[in-house]
Amino acid sequence: MGLVRKDRIRAKLKSGDTTVRILLAHPMHTGRGQNDAGDLIAAEFIQDFRCWRNKEEVLSIECGTATAANPYFSFQLIGGERGDKIAIRWVDNLGAKGTAETTVK
Amino acid sequence: MNTTNQHRRTLLKGAISASTMALVATSGLLLPQRVLAHWSTSAFNAETVEDALLALLGQAEEASTTGLNFKVGSPPSYAVNGASVPIEIQSDLKNIERIAVLVDKNPLPLALSIVPSAAVKLPFKSMIKIAEDSEVTAIIRADGQLYKTTRFVEVDIGGCA
Repeated sequence: MGLVRKDRIRAKLKSGDTTVRILLAHPMHTGRGQNDAGDLIAAEFIQDFRCWRNKEEVLSIECGTATAANPYFSFQLIGGERGDKIAIRWVDNLGAKGTAETTVK
Repeated sequence: MNTTNQHRRTLLKGAISASTMALVATSGLLLPQRVLAHWSTSAFNAETVEDALLALLGQAEEASTTGLNFKVGSPPSYAVNGASVPIEIQSDLKNIERIAVLVDKNPLPLALSIVPSAAVKLPFKSMIKIAEDSEVTAIIRADGQLYKTTRFVEVDIGGCA
C-alpha cells in the first residue's frame, strides 16, 4: 500500500494550557461498506481510546462506527509545561492496539 | 547426592514451565475481556437515540438545552462529505462526567462517548460520519444533569458506508 500508517499526535503549550491534537491511522470500517467486488467489508473500528499526561489518565473516549475514518481528536488540558509526556493508546474491535507518545512543546 | 540434585532440577524446570504457561494463559485470556468491558456494547448497538442514551446514561429525559455550544459541519449545518464531518463541543459547565454525540438517522446513532477528567478543557473537536440529512445531538452530563443540543445537518454525499 505504500502509505505508512502512523498515529500522529501533537501537543503544544498555548497561553498556559496544553493543546493536544491527535490523528489516528485507522480505516474505521462499519461493517456495512462494500469493496470493489461488492463484498461487505468486515467491521473494524476503534472502540476504546485513552490519553495520559505524565502517567495520569486525563481522557477516555469510546468510539462507535459513526466516528470518521482516521479519527481526529482535539482538546485542551488545563495547565501543563514543556516536556510533559502525552501518551495515547487505542484498541479496536478486533483487539488490535496502537500507542503513540509525544512531549509538550 | 547426584540423584537428589537431579530431582531438584526437574522440580525447578516443572515449576518454571508451569508459571510461564500460567502467565501466557492469563495474558491471552484476560486481555480481550478487559477490552470489551470498556466498551458499552448495548449503547453503541442501540438503533435509536433514546435507546442509546438509556443504555449509556440510564436516563434520556429532563435535558436542559442551555449551557452547551455545539457546532457541526463546516460551514455550520452543512457538509459536502458525510464521511468526515467536523464537530466542535464547547461548554462552560463544571464537573462534566460524560459527553455523547449521536446522529439520529445513522443506523447506529451513538458516535462518540467521551469521559474527560478534571484536567480536560473544552472545546473538544472531532470528526464523525453522517449517513444522510439528519439531526445531530450532543449531550453533556454534568453533576447528574443532562444538557442537550441538537443541530440539523445537510449532507451532500452520505458517509456511513
